[in-house]
Amino acid sequence: MKRTVDVNIPLGPIHPCFKEPARLKCEAKGERIVSAEVELGYMKKGIERIMKGRPWQEVMFLAERVCGICSVIHNMVFIEAMEQISGISVPPRAANLRVIANELDRMQSHLLANFSYCYTIEHETLGMYLLDLREQVMDELERLTGARVTCAYIIPGGVRCDILPENAELLQASLDRIERDLRRYAGMFADGPMIALRSRGVGILTPEAAQRAHAVGPTARASGITIDCRVNHPTYQKLGFVPVSRTDCDNYARIMVRFDEVAQSISLIRKSLQDLPAGIIRGGGICKAGETRYSGEAPRGELTYFIKSDEFGRILEIQIQTPSIMNIEACCHEMIIGVDSIADVTSTFVSSDPCIACTER
Amino acid sequence: MTSYLYEKDLVPQKYRILVANRHDALVRGIARELDIPVQELRKYLIEHLDMMLLENLPARAEMADAHADRDDPLARALGREKYTLYLKILPDVTMEHIFREVSDRVHAGSATEDALAYGRVRILEELRR
Repeated sequence: MKRTVDVNIPLGPIHPCFKEPARLKCEAKGERIVSAEVELGYMKKGIERIMKGRPWQEVMFLAERVCGICSVIHNMVFIEAMEQISGISVPPRAANLRVIANELDRMQSHLLANFSYCYTIEHETLGMYLLDLREQVMDELERLTGARVTCAYIIPGGVRCDILPENAELLQASLDRIERDLRRYAGMFADGPMIALRSRGVGILTPEAAQRAHAVGPTARASGITIDCRVNHPTYQKLGFVPVSRTDCDNYARIMVRFDEVAQSISLIRKSLQDLPAGIIRGGGICKAGETRYSGEAPRGELTYFIKSDEFGRILEIQIQTPSIMNIEACCHEMIIGVDSIADVTSTFVSSDPCIACTER
Repeated sequence: MTSYLYEKDLVPQKYRILVANRHDALVRGIARELDIPVQELRKYLIEHLDMMLLENLPARAEMADAHADRDDPLARALGREKYTLYLKILPDVTMEHIFREVSDRVHAGSATEDALAYGRVRILEELRR
């Protein structure tokens, strides 16, 4: 049967609101979106193929190059997967330092995602404030790891370098400043009447649909699904981690979950610094043969590595399931469908924090 | 979905998604279950599902294994929700019709395995239609 639609709207691959190239093809009846499809293939890296047959020492650097925004978690999940295969334990001090690096990475990623959303709904002032705040977080990440992105901070059996006492003090002071500003900016978003018009009740993702598409991270937690891999991580368990969630299921909830998680990351870093055990940061260990599936909580949700290695630590098989695969799919097949205005398509898409680099790998 | 004249053919890209390790294992599993050649199933998936859905198939299949038709063993064995809501291979209405036929056969005294085998043949017919 021939389908009738009023308008076909191709958005992208290059669009001012998209951070990366992707084509979003929508069909609308009047202003209402009836179907949407995301077309990929504009930045395929084939990184899994490049990784195959290489030693872990090379794959470690490739892993963090899957995504520039959440490079620390790719590094962490790959290394922790190799540690699981090889039975390598991590010194307690290094475990806490990993949490600090990971949470700083989450903070900058969430602030960038919320900046993108504010920019998309034309609230550039708040967007710029958030981008400025992100720069402060990036400075702290650089001070801890030595680099803003692709830090290669986490290595098997520990971390690359320790935190200096003066840098720990600077980090504490910076967190105080960031927390104060964050409270103000989150308040601006939460109470903004124009923001509410563009965000509340828009891009609904029901818990059932989120579960079917295996939506993860803030996208799922904004729909009341409290899945978070940090709950199962031993270091986070020691820090008393409890996931943030909301039940509004809309764009507003997704952005607010990220604001809440930035605040939560600040408290996790503070706790990690406060409980930072004395001792070594590198326990050493040899990567061995084995096969595992290992998941960690990236800023966008559950990141899973399927790895098979040989006795020399070479990667024989690897597959990466990034959170954006699930979230973008949920977004284009659930959230965007039924959106009442074509203008809300981009904002709804951006609210799921889509990372095309992760999706295309 | 509307096709645009200036767009390139997505078949090679979709094929590469489907032959990745986990996707391949899933497709082969479904092909075994429905007794359909792998190549034919791949062709069907490429023609009927978009790129994001193909990318997300293994994750959706995991969720189907965990949550689909938990209260109804017959529906679970046939894959009523798995093939419709989760993997989106068949339309809901078609699957509902097939499930009713299978259910009727079981109620009429037919062995569950025979009824399920009939249901899978019907699914295969729908895929080939």
